[in-house]
Amino acid sequence: MSVVLETRDLSYIYSKGTAYEVAAIENINLKIEKGELVGVIGHTGSGKSTLIEHFNGILNPTKGTVLLDGKDIWEDKTKIRNVRFKVGVCFQYPEYQLFEETVYKDIAFGPRNMKMSEDEIDKTIKKVIKFVGLNESYLDKSPFDLSGGEKRRVAIAGVMAMNPEVLVLDEPSAGLDPRGRNMILSLIKNYQKETGCTVIVVSHSMEDISKISDKIIVMNKSKLAFYDTVKNVFSHAEELSEMGLNIPEITKLFLMFKEKGFDVKTDIFTIEEAKNELLKLLGKGGLQCSGT
Amino acid sequence: MFRDITIGQYYKADSFVHKLDPRIKILLTLWFIVIIFICKTFFSLALMILLVTVSIAFSKVPFKMFLKSLKPIIPIIIFTCIINMLYIKNGDVLLEFWKIKITSEGLNTALFMTIRIITLIVCSSILTYTTVPTMLTDAIERLLSPLKVFHIEVHTLAMMMTLALRFIPTLIEEIERITNAQKARGANFESGKLIQKIKAMIPVLIPLFVSAFSRAYELAFAMSCRCYRGGEGRTRMKQMKLSYKDLIAVFVFVLTTAGVILFNIYLKSFSF
Repeated sequence: MSVVLETRDLSYIYSKGTAYEVAAIENINLKIEKGELVGVIGHTGSGKSTLIEHFNGILNPTKGTVLLDGKDIWEDKTKIRNVRFKVGVCFQYPEYQLFEETVYKDIAFGPRNMKMSEDEIDKTIKKVIKFVGLNESYLDKSPFDLSGGEKRRVAIAGVMAMNPEVLVLDEPSAGLDPRGRNMILSLIKNYQKETGCTVIVVSHSMEDISKISDKIIVMNKSKLAFYDTVKNVFSHAEELSEMGLNIPEITKLFLMFKEKGFDVKTDIFTIEEAKNELLKLLGKGGLQCSGT
Repeated sequence: MFRDITIGQYYKADSFVHKLDPRIKILLTLWFIVIIFICKTFFSLALMILLVTVSIAFSKVPFKMFLKSLKPIIPIIIFTCIINMLYIKNGDVLLEFWKIKITSEGLNTALFMTIRIITLIVCSSILTYTTVPTMLTDAIERLLSPLKVFHIEVHTLAMMMTLALRFIPTLIEEIERITNAQKARGANFESGKLIQKIKAMIPVLIPLFVSAFSRAYELAFAMSCRCYRGGEGRTRMKQMKLSYKDLIAVFVFVLTTAGVILFNIYLKSFSF
């Protein structure tokens, strides 16, 4: 597997040189591999958003470098826009960035800036609108007439339409109801599977992240705490709870089973997995159940 | 890029000037502006400088802050200086070359005007450095309340001002957020001709207006939920009360004014 995005000793200090100097992130070293879905988790103010604002050059690092395909993104300042086309970032509450008369035109904003041909734009738009679970009848509507969840999905489609190598989503499910959350998460997972695009998802919900991620980045007090597979990160349950982060309830349950001496897997993040694991355990006769 | 703009430039400190009634502070500032224009001699000006210096000392605001507030008006000061020096032809000629004649009176006036402008700016800075913007609008409301006689809705105007001030930082943050989001989609704000630059602002301005309107609706809704119905019969949590401190401040100003008038009359002949 090849590394697509890398950070070396990345640090960023807000209001440098004044009394309000605050380090938002400190010495972050990361290597994100192509095609993976990486979750970024951390408490409010842990530096998650600052970190991703470096991935597409919205912020210029105080110290350290960000490498995209092995090249420093700030090597040529005038080419920073090209970096933004390759690393598509969708910020928190992206529904507030919609501005065009129709959904079609709004999704076309990114591709037009890339100087894509009209034919290509048309094809791309029809493709991405399906990725976000909407149909073509939405394309002629005004984005301001849509519901909150639909607006959010149109905004995400606007970033997907740039065909980025890396798609970064900051809190894509914030403020949505459970159904909307699950929908967005499964859309993202689906997108990654179908396009093979590297996807980075920021969230503060462990439950959400663990369902879809291959690896997890845990940020704590502007530093990188863990960067590993979901299973390995959750094995640090105690340290995580000290950081004010909780592992999913369902995983906690299986960790407790393990502790009591039952032979179960501990990388259980969904109800479905839990059901299978429990049935397996019962099948083995590890537990006596009355009534069956 | 928008973070550097400071609107309310309040400097937090616990001082004599901070504790003065905002109404008195506004009136004294106006009073100060009037006397500075009454001043006719350098002696009376010196008295005003003394008053400003004492006020700064009692406000506990660092001197550096006042230099910062003077920075933007340096061009205006230089401009007035040059105009005065070039156009006043009375008095002894100090310097003459080509068509330019600089006279003693011209130099005098230039210096006089410069001091006037600087003290004026510093004095109004003391007001804004030591008073929270909302207190200022509150005080303006009280001071203008006699206008109710003419059916002018003073309370509504003041409330509008307070809300406008309150939302400036919010909107700045919003602009920054939308700009970043559009930059992430490849919007180009930096290069291009003027027309292109203006066009590039559309993707920022439209979402900004949309959210400003929805904020306004939400705010109006929240206010009416809490039974806001204008200024009639409204009481206040923070009552403004005059204290002995305000009396002292007014007394100092009365003395200074008397001094200025006396200097104007009796020390006129000592003028440079």
